[in-house]
Amino acid sequence: MKDVIVIGGGPSGLAAASSLAEKGYNVAIIERKEELGGILDQCIHDGFGTKIFRKALSGPEFVDHYIDKINKLGVDVYLESFVKTIDVEGDLKKVICISPKDVNKLETRALIFAVGCREKTPFEIKVGGTRPAGVYTAGMVQRLINIYGILPGKNVLLVGGGDVGMIVARHLYLEGVESILVVYPEDFFVGLPRNVQQCILDFNIPYRPRTIVKEIVGKKRVEGAMLTKVDKNWNPIPGTEEFYKCDSIIFSVGLVPYTGKLEEINAKIDPKTRGPEVNEFFETSVPGIFAVGNLVQIFDYVDDAVESALISAEGVEKYLAKVPKRTTPIKINPGNNVLSVIPQRIEWEDNKDIISFFRPAITIKNAILELTNEKNEVLKTFRRPFVRPSTLERIKISRKVVLSSKEVFLNVRESS
Amino acid sequence: MLEKALEVICIRCPKGCRIKIEKKGENIKIEGYECPLGKTYAEEEITNPKRVVTSTVRILGAIHPRLPVRTLYPIPKYKVKDVINALRGIVIEAPVRKGQIIIDNVCGTGVPIIAERDMERVKE
Repeated sequence: MKDVIVIGGGPSGLAAASSLAEKGYNVAIIERKEELGGILDQCIHDGFGTKIFRKALSGPEFVDHYIDKINKLGVDVYLESFVKTIDVEGDLKKVICISPKDVNKLETRALIFAVGCREKTPFEIKVGGTRPAGVYTAGMVQRLINIYGILPGKNVLLVGGGDVGMIVARHLYLEGVESILVVYPEDFFVGLPRNVQQCILDFNIPYRPRTIVKEIVGKKRVEGAMLTKVDKNWNPIPGTEEFYKCDSIIFSVGLVPYTGKLEEINAKIDPKTRGPEVNEFFETSVPGIFAVGNLVQIFDYVDDAVESALISAEGVEKYLAKVPKRTTPIKINPGNNVLSVIPQRIEWEDNKDIISFFRPAITIKNAILELTNEKNEVLKTFRRPFVRPSTLERIKISRKVVLSSKEVFLNVRESS
Repeated sequence: MLEKALEVICIRCPKGCRIKIEKKGENIKIEGYECPLGKTYAEEEITNPKRVVTSTVRILGAIHPRLPVRTLYPIPKYKVKDVINALRGIVIEAPVRKGQIIIDNVCGTGVPIIAERDMERVKE
């Protein structure tokens, strides 16, 4: 019987597992791939760890810190293992995982899901035309280039102006494609401005804003794409269709939390984050089942994903020690100009400050972040010189500020 | 008197200030930065812009066919593509240790290329 099983051996899972193993808990990690490290094995560019380690590491360097801890602590690791079923029998959780070699039946008291997210596919953004070879997602291309040394094609069209898209555009350019064009429906790249500079502008990679792929063209292999201009609401502008010749089309159109297994055990999903609802220690709506990292919320920084994992480790300790919860949780809701917020509720009797992450709905300078209660009274304000939807905000809320409220709302407004 | 003007996005923090830089001889005029980091970045961008270069080299006998590598320190931006080209054709035998030097003084920059991770030798 384990104290805790962590599903997913990426940075969040490894951080949670090593934190608990260091405190003497009996921990196991179940990982689908042939080695630990999660997505960071293919993120070979630098810029990870600026918050935790105060320097810009590459993905493999960042995650090595945690893999090293896991190895030294002697944590049980099940590689090439896929979780088939989870049975929740109150305090006892039974996990069956399968690998090419065997079937393992494990039992545990607590479970941490750290399974991350998946990429959206062209099907989810309704792209017309044919379905030939040569259509990829950006993460797949990053894997092909950085792990296997294979370029997806020679003349590449990349769809999407987010961080993943820009980083992959730089890989493609540097590793020697003959031509590349980036298109996206927004007015400008939606990823971090520094990636616009160091991935796109540094190398004069051509891009077209307000442009989408209407149709993929090609029989066996991609022969090109029908591009069209779109208006502010992303509706195609008639008469602007243009054929663009290319042999590969790469979609980098967003990430979605990987919640399948959590839904099977009836964990509540927040339609706004598309991840599970969690309390202030990252416990889902199912007692003893925790969720961390990009599964809960697509983080901008791996450092923040790791922070969520370390907070969940404290929650697991509370759960195992049977620390009592409040009779009614305090709900945290996105208020004015906020798209989504985690945690969705405050539930435990504790003194610790609450770390909250939220996504603003608007771009403004001199922003005021306001925490209000059900009577619309302002409990606390925070200031930010600049907020925008593509940057996840992190705030620390003192517990005593919210304890007398039934529910609280997080709002964003311009400083008057 | 040398004259040069640039408009860049600061890469030092997520805020990403748009900075205008003008250089007339020794005089540098910088506008649009909102913190000291941005000022330093702008000064470097107009005098000697530098970047860390990351890529992969071929590795034999390891779990994957490519080993991720990078320059130990930032190198002049105009040499980025040269460094990438210098990595083509390099073949390394596993095992490799994180931080191990793969190329010393790459492209005359005085900066080595190092391995980003351990890669053990695996049985074929």
